[in-house]
Amino acid sequence: MVFRNKKSIIAVAAVVLLVVVFVPLPSLTLRGKGVVRGSVAPAERATSGIWRRLSEAGAAIRGIGGTAEKNMELSRELIRLQTELNRLRDAEADNVRLHRALNFYRKKPDTMIPCDIVSRNISGWWSTVRIGKGSRAGIDSDLAVISPDGLVGKTTEPTPFTTEVLLISDPACQVSAKIKLKDKEVYGLVRGTGSNLKGEPRARIEFINKDILVSVNDEVVTSGLGAFPKGVHIGYVDEVYRDKSGLFQYAEIIPRATVGLLDYVFVVVPSAREVPE
Amino acid sequence: MKRRAYMLILILCGALLQQVLPPIAPLGGMKPPILAALALHHALRKGSPDFWMAVVLAALLQDGLELGSFGPALLTFPAMSLLARRIRNEIFSDGIVTQLVMGAGLGLFVTFTTLIIYSATGQRAIPPALGFLRLGGSMLLGMVTLPIISRGINWLESLIPKPREYGWQ
Repeated sequence: MVFRNKKSIIAVAAVVLLVVVFVPLPSLTLRGKGVVRGSVAPAERATSGIWRRLSEAGAAIRGIGGTAEKNMELSRELIRLQTELNRLRDAEADNVRLHRALNFYRKKPDTMIPCDIVSRNISGWWSTVRIGKGSRAGIDSDLAVISPDGLVGKTTEPTPFTTEVLLISDPACQVSAKIKLKDKEVYGLVRGTGSNLKGEPRARIEFINKDILVSVNDEVVTSGLGAFPKGVHIGYVDEVYRDKSGLFQYAEIIPRATVGLLDYVFVVVPSAREVPE
Repeated sequence: MKRRAYMLILILCGALLQQVLPPIAPLGGMKPPILAALALHHALRKGSPDFWMAVVLAALLQDGLELGSFGPALLTFPAMSLLARRIRNEIFSDGIVTQLVMGAGLGLFVTFTTLIIYSATGQRAIPPALGFLRLGGSMLLGMVTLPIISRGINWLESLIPKPREYGWQ
């Protein structure tokens, strides 16, 4: 009797599991994942902090990191950027005044939410990182995630305290982009192609007009279509190929922002178009 | 109670370590299956409540911290552990050859099932070449991970002081 009960419990559990696996219930799944990720997040944050310190210490010992030089370089960059920011603030104030005077529609600047990376993908099936802010900080799905090096990826599965970032090298990440040529711009679609055998992340820009000459080292940036901001650097063209159909060409690119070990990123929350009073 | 708490902390630490470790590109970008190895280790050694606790926690962590639907680990970890429990009296759980074979089987089974689930649900399209590379890679990683995890846990457990028994002396 006990054996039969045990067997029926296992059978029921197996059926429930199969339903969970094959019947998509996104909101329920996300809630469950939110609980798991929320409970593990503090430990992940502590671990990533320790790991970062150890990496820095290792780099300092090896003399490869050049922390002091990098720090000085960053300080100089910060000063330069602050000067630039002040200039842009003045320009923006002028711009707002002129727009009001002309009764134009104006768009608020995008909000940048700084986030620390708390962990990476657990199994290697996806190219993702997890950031330590979620829906409570105003983060939603499909928002651009950028770093000083350019586009990192897009947000997905936001839970109250954490959000997954699908890296630009993941095949599930697709972004509308353009190649900046000397005299014109050519549009295409960037899609991740995973990593090569050296572990370098790769992506591809597809559906490029076949009549336009695209060369190695041409810059690829976001086109601004969708929720992504315009002109964010993605990478440089590495190799150019003709599509199998012969109608388009595509180019392999190396996404720069995901090459190094990322510590901090920014989530770009686009502002709604605002109508003046 | 103390041992149970150690077991749960160990599984949490295993999840954190698995996340921190970089994917191994020549093996299809797979990571060492630490959580699966922990679940299998406990299945081979623990009694019923502890074994189920370990397996379910490991599976929940693996699936909860992964993108996509719940399921691959929740299906494979208990299935693999139940199978291991059935044969645990017929094998030398601490033998290196047994662990190498079981590690290979573990890697292969978890990756194969995940591949099937992702393909069937349309969550991820894996090119055949990459699929085979991942199967081979996870088999190798399982062979390396299980013996290390098993020996590591045995060593850690030997450090925990056992309660003194005051029976007939």
